[in-house]
Amino acid sequence: MYKYDAIDQTLVDQRVAQFRDQVARRINGTLAEEEFRPLRLQNGLYHQRHAYMLRVAIPYGLLSAKQLRTLALIAEKYDRGYGHFTTRQNIQFNWIELDQTPDILAELAKVEMHAIQTSGNCIRNITSDAFAGVAGDEYIDPRPVCELLRQWSTLHPEFAHLPRKFKFAINGAKEDRTVLLCHDVGIELKKNAAGELIADIYAGGGMGRTPILGSLIKQDVPWQVLPSYLTALLRVYNRFGRRDNLYKARIKILVKALGTEEFARQVEGEWTHIKNGDDNFTQAEWDRVAKHFTKPTYQQLSALSEQQIVAGAPETERSAFARWLERNVKPHQVAGYASVILSLKPHGTVAPGDATVAQMNAIADLSDQYSFGELRVTHEQNLVLADVEQSKLLELWQAAKQQHVALPNIGLLTDIIACPGGDFCSLANAKSLPIAKAIQERFDNLDYLFDLGDISLNISGCINSCGHHHVGNIGVLGVDKDGEEWYQITLGGEQGNDAAIGKVIGPSFYADEIPDVITNVINTYVTQRTDDESFIDAYRRIGVTPFKEAAYKNAKKKDKAVDQKESAAS
Amino acid sequence: MNKHIIRFPKDGQASLVANEWQVWDGEGDEGAPFNTPDLKHGLNKVLVPFHWWRSHCSGHHQNADIIERANKGEIGVWFATDDDILKHAEIIEAGKKIWPVVAAHFPIFRDGRSFSTAALLRQRFNWQNEVRAIGDVLIDQLLQGARVGFDAFELRPDQDLTVGLQQFNLFSVSTQNSWRGKRTLLEA
Repeated sequence: MYKYDAIDQTLVDQRVAQFRDQVARRINGTLAEEEFRPLRLQNGLYHQRHAYMLRVAIPYGLLSAKQLRTLALIAEKYDRGYGHFTTRQNIQFNWIELDQTPDILAELAKVEMHAIQTSGNCIRNITSDAFAGVAGDEYIDPRPVCELLRQWSTLHPEFAHLPRKFKFAINGAKEDRTVLLCHDVGIELKKNAAGELIADIYAGGGMGRTPILGSLIKQDVPWQVLPSYLTALLRVYNRFGRRDNLYKARIKILVKALGTEEFARQVEGEWTHIKNGDDNFTQAEWDRVAKHFTKPTYQQLSALSEQQIVAGAPETERSAFARWLERNVKPHQVAGYASVILSLKPHGTVAPGDATVAQMNAIADLSDQYSFGELRVTHEQNLVLADVEQSKLLELWQAAKQQHVALPNIGLLTDIIACPGGDFCSLANAKSLPIAKAIQERFDNLDYLFDLGDISLNISGCINSCGHHHVGNIGVLGVDKDGEEWYQITLGGEQGNDAAIGKVIGPSFYADEIPDVITNVINTYVTQRTDDESFIDAYRRIGVTPFKEAAYKNAKKKDKAVDQKESAAS
Repeated sequence: MNKHIIRFPKDGQASLVANEWQVWDGEGDEGAPFNTPDLKHGLNKVLVPFHWWRSHCSGHHQNADIIERANKGEIGVWFATDDDILKHAEIIEAGKKIWPVVAAHFPIFRDGRSFSTAALLRQRFNWQNEVRAIGDVLIDQLLQGARVGFDAFELRPDQDLTVGLQQFNLFSVSTQNSWRGKRTLLEA
């Protein structure tokens, strides 16, 4: 994985010093809160319901054992003993004191980590495929491009105060695991006929209040010119993105208003002037970065079949182990190896994506023992050990069970993506975590979950959509009505190559109705599916109506009345 | 207006200097026949709004008095955030021979449009004279401003100029090019 050079290290150290001074000025009163706010946000510091929250970047999801131990240390020393992994390859600490943040950032800098641009109206932490470099379906390892662009975007002066936040995703695999089309800019890497690395650029995707999938604006951009092309794109957005309305300030609104072609034309016009400039990446820069993403020293192993792997387990444990292999273990590029997903989605006991200090330390040890001391953070808020020998899977499974991170629910209904919601976040309209808990408790039967197969259920506590409910097969959105918490259901969302935005099925529900609503939706799928048909395929075949009718079967009349009143008013 | 500005030449040191330029907002311009900017503060150097310059000193509108004063180095222009400078490239090219100073305005410190304006003035128009940041200019935006192309800053009057002067030396490295220099590369 990437190692900082003297430049990277100096930069994060100096950034800590800069922030230390800003915090000191805030505390001594010479810097007003309103003017401090964008400064702290650009360093990942939010002011939430109970305390400050610090969001730390895990660039493109890559983490070393040493870094994870530092995150554990921060959770122990400065927080309440746990951290929350987010959908965007960050970790959040929820109980932070302002005056301690410079020290926390200094701890992070010691292990080549930072919180730079994890919030604010700037280029955010760049996200990518959690299986980069190991995925069986990968055609380009995206990590060198991710790292080059991380450096290029870090403290970029011209784009420090964009109209709104700006998120990059970069993919190089056949299957998109980055939700590429829901990003302000999506970069799809590929190779041309001559074997050169090029990129297709998508722009204007996003979730939030106005969910839109990104549009292709430029094809076959050579990797070297990405800085100049992205400068042109961001410059058009910086100059013409709306600043009069917070909800219309994202690039998706500009792309939509101008039309994809006109937006692309303006970017092209700007790019013409700078495309041959010295902003572009050089081969020497590529070499400097790419040398860190070479393959670890894999052993020459023969691939094992699933039967061979399962046979190693005691007979009484075989079916459970086989189930874990099926759900939590993914194919690897190298014979004899596999990637393992550790589930941070236990049923109903902790928030999705949370890990305790003990778990973080233990998982760091597991990564040292089984996976070259490296880990990945997934968009679904789980952790990955990417390079595990197949012959060690049983051992690892047993160790992971000790840490309660071996639940075989990856990709199943209870592998819920959820934001921290109203329990923590001051933006939220409603709580997310109790909803996730109630659903996990309702569906706490692995046989049944296994039979249901792949279903994504995503929960956001407000329309900012941090829980990515728009792209969940089942989406749950918290809404506020007259000071009460209600939940709107969307169906048919999907991430990946067939990305789709879910459709709202109708009026919202009370929190306590949600488990029944989900049950009714799931029952409809079970009765309607054919053979191996997945939930999303069944939904696409039969449409929303049967699901909708089932969802409202037992709904309380009062809820509908409120909604009808609302829809009549709007 | 602030009595002092921070001047930070491209290859020089940042320092405080007296502010010679008054920013005129373009208001109070009904007084025909001579639409002179309000000079009530007694200063004779005025930054006029770019839109005002367009309607008085470009194309068919040639206000001889103003142009004469500009030629004497007493008139510059300032760009509002919604001035599309690329659309008016001809006026700006012509202005390069006339204006000793241009400025770009920050209606609020967190509005970054003028960062792109300054970058374009330097990159596209190859503007060599002063580009001044005016408006809601705060000390924590100085470094970004200095890197995109500003070399003078009229800070909001409540800002501590001493702390402001310290901002430019906070970083000894950078990971992208800017007007002031290329990204830092390791010695081979």
